Amino acid sequence: MGLARYTLYRLLQAIPVLLGITIITFVLANLAPGDPVQLMLAGQEVDEELVEAIEQQYGLDRPLHERYVTYMAGVLEGDLGYSIHWGQPVTELILGRVGPTLLLVLSAYAFAIATAIPLGIIAATRRNEPTDHVSRIVALFGVSTPSFWIGIMLILLFAVQLGWLPSTGLVYPWRGPDAYAWIDTWPELLYQTARHLLLPMIALGTLQMATLMRVERTQMIESLHGEYVTLARAYGVPERTILRKHAFQNAQLPIITIIGLNLSTALSGAVLIEYVFNINGMGRLFIEAIQALDYQLIMGITIVFGTIFVVGVIVTDLSYAYIDPRVTYGEEE
Amino acid sequence: MAIGESQMDDGGPTEDVEAKFGWRHTLGKITDDTTARWGLYIVAFVLVISAYTMVDSNLSRLTFGVLSDFTFAEAIPIFDHPERIPPPGEGESHLPPAFHADGSMAHPLGTDPTGRDYFTRIVYGAQVSVSVGIASTLIGFVGGTIIGSVSGFYGGKVDDFLMRIVETVYAIPPLILIIVFTVFVSGGSPDITYAILGVGITFIPVFARIIRSEVLSIREMDYIEAARASGVKRRNIILRHVIPNSIAPVLVYATLQIGVTILLVAGLSFLGYGAQPPTPDWGEMLNVSHGYMHANVWLSIWPGLAILVTIMGFNLFGDGLQDALDPRLED
Repeated sequence: MGLARYTLYRLLQAIPVLLGITIITFVLANLAPGDPVQLMLAGQEVDEELVEAIEQQYGLDRPLHERYVTYMAGVLEGDLGYSIHWGQPVTELILGRVGPTLLLVLSAYAFAIATAIPLGIIAATRRNEPTDHVSRIVALFGVSTPSFWIGIMLILLFAVQLGWLPSTGLVYPWRGPDAYAWIDTWPELLYQTARHLLLPMIALGTLQMATLMRVERTQMIESLHGEYVTLARAYGVPERTILRKHAFQNAQLPIITIIGLNLSTALSGAVLIEYVFNINGMGRLFIEAIQALDYQLIMGITIVFGTIFVVGVIVTDLSYAYIDPRVTYGEEE
Repeated sequence: MAIGESQMDDGGPTEDVEAKFGWRHTLGKITDDTTARWGLYIVAFVLVISAYTMVDSNLSRLTFGVLSDFTFAEAIPIFDHPERIPPPGEGESHLPPAFHADGSMAHPLGTDPTGRDYFTRIVYGAQVSVSVGIASTLIGFVGGTIIGSVSGFYGGKVDDFLMRIVETVYAIPPLILIIVFTVFVSGGSPDITYAILGVGITFIPVFARIIRSEVLSIREMDYIEAARASGVKRRNIILRHVIPNSIAPVLVYATLQIGVTILLVAGLSFLGYGAQPPTPDWGEMLNVSHGYMHANVWLSIWPGLAILVTIMGFNLFGDGLQDALDPRLED
């Protein structure tokens, strides 16, 4: 199977999962003991006529499967329903908030990869030396600390105590300098973006860094024990070249898989980090939707989060197949 | 542990192998390894603290959130009752920790906004976090074992169907799925009980995947063939042969998973969808202290440190267990 066909195969494979996500979300939102209309009107006097009117407007008086089919017909056209609380289409609301979340998650990954890979390699080449121990302790702390607490501590230290960095909000580079009254030029805009992004990026990226570092270290150790490394050494290839060309390249593949699978942890973390740092992303929107019990918006966001994960895994899978010629893709697991 | 026993049941391994895999051997290897030993100490310490506060109370403690009268504070008289909110004028709020100039040993970690002793609340937090971590991991473990073993053993369409469901649940970021579950199933009033259920169910797929791959390799073993040939019912083969033999890696995973679960529940309570006040849960305490971040820094520091140490303990112990049980690492 060629790469093109493999891509198609993976995309087709994702369809049942995506369909499943909509079913789970739909069933959870509709079969739960709390009736959506009751939830929506919680705290208000129950007016039978109003309840009926709302039920009719959203088709809640029809059987579940019928409603699901109607909902899915909309989803396929990109219509995720209507948010009662915001009085706006769900798709529109989500599209307005997806940017900050992606910026946050991608920068956290960039931070994690940029730190974890060199540290992992150093730890592997200096196995059981002090450097290795230090990096392992860092990794241990990284996997054991709640990301939102790291965020709070970073705010307390760098924003409150030292006053070096801002503690809330983000500056979005795609809006251009004109959107901000206090920013004049592009370089200044990018500088402000970086300043605002730094703390949330570290808070969200630490867990990813720790996980990646552990995997990188193990893979490099295994890779350095490979026969091809022994052979290269026997041929007198310099140690640096061995590290760079032979050991490193072979150790990277599992990292890519981990990056894809960790996306669900990163997206979960983004909800907390956006809350702590007051970032107007999808995570914050989700929390607000939950607070307002705006069930169509909750469904929409859940579906979009699931889709981001599925797409992310496919992209990493494809890059895996693309990078490593040895991977014989397309075989059933 | 079950590992040694189950292998005895099947009469498969020789005594030599038994010695290498028995629980004494495992424990010995863990205590040999410095980091794993520290993990064991921390886990034991946290468990003892949780058990102590649980034993010395009536059963209402198990309902989470309703604290009984007898407390750790009364066992060690210098600490205040955690849930007794001092009437206005009595009991100072926002006291700094003991090492601070204004602090006192009566409240080693200071007091919270309502004047409750923070140290006692942190100690109680251990009980809540550990019970929640273990309870929800248990749900994931049992559910995952059932689905994974059925799926792996029967194969074919059953396997395909179950694995599609597993994949789907896996695709929704855990925190999102748990909040959606908790809020909708509780009808808009989330509670720690729903959080436990939600977290447990969310982790069923992860356990199911691990046990399925174990079962797939065990299914082909000779003793399963023998059991089949002698007419043992399928259900009994799964219960008596397949599950006991595939449980070891899942047990290791469960230990590590307790840490992940505590982390997740802390996040959930922090957002207000797990433990509800006045339950002294570490995540809930961070949620409350978030409002006083600038006024009282200490309130945000202690619960986080408690979470960090506890999870680190479970991680170190789990890693040690993994190394001890992995025969490939045997030199």
